[in-house]
Amino acid sequence: MKYVCLGYIEPGKFENMTDGERNAMVDSCFTYDDLLRKNGHFAGGEALQPPGNAVTLRARGGKVTVTDGPYAETKEQLGGILILEARDLNHAIQLLSKHPGVQAGPFEIRPAADLAGMIRDSEQRRSKAKA
Amino acid sequence: MRYLLLCCFDEKRWNAIPEAQRGGIMKEYGEFLQSLDRSGQHLASAKLEPSSRAATVRGGNGKPAVTDGPFAETKEQVGGYHLVECKDLDEAISIAKRIPTIPHGGTVEVRALES
Repeated sequence: MKYVCLGYIEPGKFENMTDGERNAMVDSCFTYDDLLRKNGHFAGGEALQPPGNAVTLRARGGKVTVTDGPYAETKEQLGGILILEARDLNHAIQLLSKHPGVQAGPFEIRPAADLAGMIRDSEQRRSKAKA
Repeated sequence: MRYLLLCCFDEKRWNAIPEAQRGGIMKEYGEFLQSLDRSGQHLASAKLEPSSRAATVRGGNGKPAVTDGPFAETKEQVGGYHLVECKDLDEAISIAKRIPTIPHGGTVEVRALES
């Protein structure tokens, strides 16, 4: 079962660390990522550029508008995602609790929805529509 | 350059859409993803289970604290994401504009990944 971990961090927190602090943080995170990888629990991960580089799209009166900045003006902003392979939510919590990144900001863990059935049904509907 | 398209939706509003209409939106979604597959720009996607099934882990002094529910109590919640390969932000925006949930109230945040 895959769990998507949304990692949040206060903008500037990472950038404002001293080089020593930042290197220690990065090295401890990557060391733990390697351990997750070795044990088959690391199913993907990506770091995002700062929210100042984000744009947000929404529809207003049928027209799609684009605004600069992230979707939610929360104190902490999405900084990266980590995908864990875990037995269940408790296992995912256990694995993530030991991740050094949690010391930098909160992580939301969400089970990935299994779309296999929905994709199969949709393919059947579409192939029927074509026939 | 890789971009994350973060799809947010008011879950109550989504659940209030009649099932047949939701099915139609998901069908359009399938076609949208297939077109990204064909252009070779689709790297990864995931749909998340409802935020009521989320847990949040926060670092404290030593032991992380675990709470039920999503990180932010916003009206709209992250429902899924797509990772796409684009030449620049403009191209990522033009792809994001085609996401079929937007006309029904969805919001999409576009963010470049650290290279």
